[in-house]
Amino acid sequence: MQKLIEQLINGLTVGSFYALIALGYTMVYGVLSMINFAHGDIFMVGAYWGCFTISKLSDIGLTESNPALAIIIALIAGAFGSAITGIIVERLAYRPLRNASRLATLISAIGTSIFLEEFVRLVPTFGSFIASIHFGDKNLFPESWSTAIIDATKTFGGAMVKTYPGVLGTGGITVGGIVISYSRIMIMTVAVVFMVLLYMLVRLTKTGKAMRAVSEDQETAALMGINVNKIISNTFFIGSALAGVAGVMMGLFYLQIRPLMGFTPGIKAFTAAVVGGIGNIPGAMLGGYLLGLIEVISVQFLPAIYKDIVAFVVLIIMLIVKPTGILGNSGGKSKL
Amino acid sequence: MKNKANIMEKLDRSILRKILPALISVVILSIPLFTFPQRNLWIRIIGYAGLYIILGLGLLVHVGLAGMFDLGFAAFYAIGAYSYAFLASPHFNIHVPFLIAILIAGGLAALVGVLICIPVLKLRGDYLGIVTLGFGEIVRMLLMNLSDFTNGSQGIMQIDKPNIFGVVFKEGTYFYYLIFGLVAVLLFLLNRIINSRTGRAWLAMREDEDVAQMSGINVSKYKLLAFAIGAFIGGLGGAIFSSWQGSIFPDNFNMNVSINILCIVILGGLGNQYGVILGAMALIALPDILRGLSDYRMIIFGLLLIIMMILKPQGFLPRKAPQYENKTLPDKGKEVQS
Repeated sequence: MQKLIEQLINGLTVGSFYALIALGYTMVYGVLSMINFAHGDIFMVGAYWGCFTISKLSDIGLTESNPALAIIIALIAGAFGSAITGIIVERLAYRPLRNASRLATLISAIGTSIFLEEFVRLVPTFGSFIASIHFGDKNLFPESWSTAIIDATKTFGGAMVKTYPGVLGTGGITVGGIVISYSRIMIMTVAVVFMVLLYMLVRLTKTGKAMRAVSEDQETAALMGINVNKIISNTFFIGSALAGVAGVMMGLFYLQIRPLMGFTPGIKAFTAAVVGGIGNIPGAMLGGYLLGLIEVISVQFLPAIYKDIVAFVVLIIMLIVKPTGILGNSGGKSKL
Repeated sequence: MKNKANIMEKLDRSILRKILPALISVVILSIPLFTFPQRNLWIRIIGYAGLYIILGLGLLVHVGLAGMFDLGFAAFYAIGAYSYAFLASPHFNIHVPFLIAILIAGGLAALVGVLICIPVLKLRGDYLGIVTLGFGEIVRMLLMNLSDFTNGSQGIMQIDKPNIFGVVFKEGTYFYYLIFGLVAVLLFLLNRIINSRTGRAWLAMREDEDVAQMSGINVSKYKLLAFAIGAFIGGLGGAIFSSWQGSIFPDNFNMNVSINILCIVILGGLGNQYGVILGAMALIALPDILRGLSDYRMIIFGLLLIIMMILKPQGFLPRKAPQYENKTLPDKGKEVQS
């Protein structure tokens, strides 16, 4: 029993990541009916921003003196890093293709995904290139700037695995003989807080109303005076920010990040979005937690190496049994 | 006058249409005859592009002709490759002759294609893409994890070189000609299929599945057929890859392979079998040509994909409206008038 509850908590932790990432997929699908294949990489960019911020904060000693503040700053940095990446991606790679075929958008998304992975990998190369720009004998940047640029870009990215400074304590609270580590509590709480915020934003604010209108019928929404482009931009901003939060938390939890880290969580979060009913926000949350739990339970019965297969099997079964997902309504128009 | 200009234009186009492929084939076939610096490397690169033409033609049947979105084509490629490796290597100590083994490899891939297609017949568009993506990953993970059977990540080594009627394939040139020979055969067969009843059924299905169904086309049957044919071609490609490389590993068949093949089909022009050639050459040869830029080649590749889609979302050679539609309609109109 005790073990089961521990596994459930484990599942909810992993599920929090999936749910946060899945929200981005589902929101973009809701307003644009497109699968944002680069979403996993936007999540990765968030993890890198978080890592960069927290490394810098650790240099000035903030992670020692006030770890909670450091984590909050890193989460914000990661969220904004991802959100801005998301907006740029939408503006440059998706908007010009809004009326093109689905496959064209898909290829563009794949190109974006490759670009982001490679960009993060090459950041130090770009850094030393920029720092070494010179005209004749005169350098563009003074010596101190150049070293700062090289230093910063090296801290940010690179082909090697980056390690998060350990900020989360190892302790935990004990409830009835079950130890729940602080890191898991933090992850689950932050995920829930952001989901509640998102739900309120979509349900209660004017932007949220506009988003729902755009997802229901883009043209009519435009006729009603909604700035569709702006709403789509906002959707990318919010969805990407959530992915960034998930990225930072995953980095804090697993401690290691790589340029290719976005692929597997990205695909699984997508599965979560489909299981919950793609385009449906509560569905993505439900799907994320459900997938996390299914994965954890499957490990009890199957060798751990099949963990990744389980997600796909769930996906395929779900699509065959109920393609619209648990909360998706077939044929209905309201999505978000 | 206008008529005359039209005729000239048509003549021009038909000459171009006949001469250009002939010219390209002559160039491709004659490359190995010359000696030039780094000849073996180039034969390898172009041969590899040829292999991707084969794979692209397979996926073209799925995506371009039948309109079934497939993101896991590498699965069929992997099944073909591993089937051949099982049948012709010291792994199980079986050594089936090349021509038989390659057909079995293709057949197995087709069988799996049908089996995966049956449960998802009802799915459309993106959903089908995701199921196939999941399927592709499942196949790769099974290859990786069923170590007793597939040797896991160690892969299978010492796969037999083909031996066709006593000709032993000992160097790249043989494979080069084998691959482009198969490309020619496939192009011929696909042309026949496209202009047959089956091809027209696929066309109708791709344009609108419901209307096709209403017009009496057995959509399920043609979907299964498309999946089987595409998977068969993918299996053939896998078997050739396996015999050429001599050793295969699960990571040869990861998601990137599926994506590359899809890019080939879409960049070339969706639904155009000649576009696949152009797409494969561009996509496979390009990173190798860009190798001089070493570190930057993949990022440039990513950028090019985006720019290409923005500038030319239809691909290099967009699919043309089928001729029989254009021919029959005006004639019927005249009959009605007179």
